[in-house]
Amino acid sequence: MKRFSLKWPLIAISSTLAFFLFVVPLYGAATYSFKGNGGKGHSLVNYQWLIHADGFYPSLLTSLKLAVLAGALNLLLMVPTMVYLNLKGQKFKPLVDFLCILPLIIPVVSLAIGAQVAMPEFLQNTEYELVFFFVIIALPYTYRALDTSLQTVALKTLVEASRSLGASWTRTIIRVIVPAIRSGITGALFLTFALSIGEYTITSLLHWETFPTWTVVAAQQNILGAIAISVFSFVGAIVLLTAIALFSKKRVQQVEVEA
Amino acid sequence: MEVVKAHSRVRSSGRGTGVLPLLPFFIFTGFFLIWPVIAVTLRSLHGNKNEWTLANYRPILKAGPYLHAFEVSLKLSIITAVIGSILGAFFAYVIVKYAHGKFGAVIDSISAVFANSGGVPLAFMFVAAFGTEGVVTTVLKNLGWDIYAGHFTIFSFTGVVLVYSFFQIPLMVLVFKPAIAGLRNEWEEASTNLGASQLTYWRRVAIPILTPSFIGAFFLLFAGGFSAYATARALTVGTVPLVPIIIGTLVDGNVISDQANLGDALAVGMIIVATVAMTGYIWAQKRAAKWRAS
Repeated sequence: MKRFSLKWPLIAISSTLAFFLFVVPLYGAATYSFKGNGGKGHSLVNYQWLIHADGFYPSLLTSLKLAVLAGALNLLLMVPTMVYLNLKGQKFKPLVDFLCILPLIIPVVSLAIGAQVAMPEFLQNTEYELVFFFVIIALPYTYRALDTSLQTVALKTLVEASRSLGASWTRTIIRVIVPAIRSGITGALFLTFALSIGEYTITSLLHWETFPTWTVVAAQQNILGAIAISVFSFVGAIVLLTAIALFSKKRVQQVEVEA
Repeated sequence: MEVVKAHSRVRSSGRGTGVLPLLPFFIFTGFFLIWPVIAVTLRSLHGNKNEWTLANYRPILKAGPYLHAFEVSLKLSIITAVIGSILGAFFAYVIVKYAHGKFGAVIDSISAVFANSGGVPLAFMFVAAFGTEGVVTTVLKNLGWDIYAGHFTIFSFTGVVLVYSFFQIPLMVLVFKPAIAGLRNEWEEASTNLGASQLTYWRRVAIPILTPSFIGAFFLLFAGGFSAYATARALTVGTVPLVPIIIGTLVDGNVISDQANLGDALAVGMIIVATVAMTGYIWAQKRAAKWRAS
């Protein structure tokens, strides 16, 4: 078989490329973040600075709070919508599908400027306005995750069984459908959460302080500290996502089904 | 990531096709997505005294800093989309072919993190690696290659290209992987049975099938690079004139009084460019879906 003869050269080339493109910068940044005072030796001084820096906890808390709210609102809005679309509302699917890619089309900067013009005063005065826009930005990903998941279950049969046994619609969604599409829900929730935690564009253009905007400001005082934050959040995200991928077998299978 | 796909796999069930259960969704997207876009478009068409005018668009259309910013932004997004789509497609092929099971899942999630890392952390990580004092810079210098000998700095156009590639390539892997995985073994077997060589199979079967997906992914990368804000903002602090960065500066206050709505016009200009790119993406996805329907 000719195909097999290419296997190791291809793997060697791609591993080398990946090493220089991704591992080297990441490793470089990680080493840098452990530099001691005045760039000498190795120490944890940058990470210590981080913990004691003004605004570290408040901004981190704000980010976590907004991300949790965005995740919850996202599911509350999208789970019933997607269930209905797959069950009865097929004729609206192209429209919903289109609305859900729009956030990829409309540059986030433009959306932020639009938000400044369009949002009523009372919303602009509270940081909670960000929650709504985080949900919008996550829509393309949520739609995919939930839709893929819903298409792998026999939705109609489940609903008919549940309804004919006397369950209400609310009960059917919560007790029957949600458990069946757990993997899609986890995926949607995690993506929304991750996007919200890292969102910088809208937040900074609407002049709110969350963890990412605080980082940029803090970098002006202490670039080493900012690098430490960056390495920390990046490695944290990789560990978290990898753990989720490894521990939810369902999700792995689902990726393969989709492919 | 691939958003336009499989509109109607499940066919209709019953007649109850009322719009009522979808109202929350339509109201939400209408108010937080459509309305801001309409509002910014309307304001870009108004002058200081609230009169209708096209004056806000004039600075963009004549030679000057704003037209130049569009040129730089376009150049940046085209270059990084080319680099990202070619290298990403190569990685995607190797991953689909040789990385299975848990290892494949780990690579998936790592790509997802890298692809979505087009943010603040990325900028600072590259400063640490490739800055004047950066770790990689130092190592290369000790090996005899001073990357700062020429015009290169991490805060320059080339620097931004380098950093953007870091998220464009994994994004391509995520988007293009399903297309490669969709190449069926039967097609290769069939062409081999008919006497085709490996090369003929690629030239006559695989590449024609993959082309629409590739073009679609290219447009998606282009749009992403064109709109990206956070990384360039944190990295360059305005040394590279990109449209989103200029909009940011205008919003932050340095507005010349008679150009109050210039930022709106720039924002609408970005929407127009992005719409053209995404139309290409949607068109290509429809062509690609032909091979996936089964």
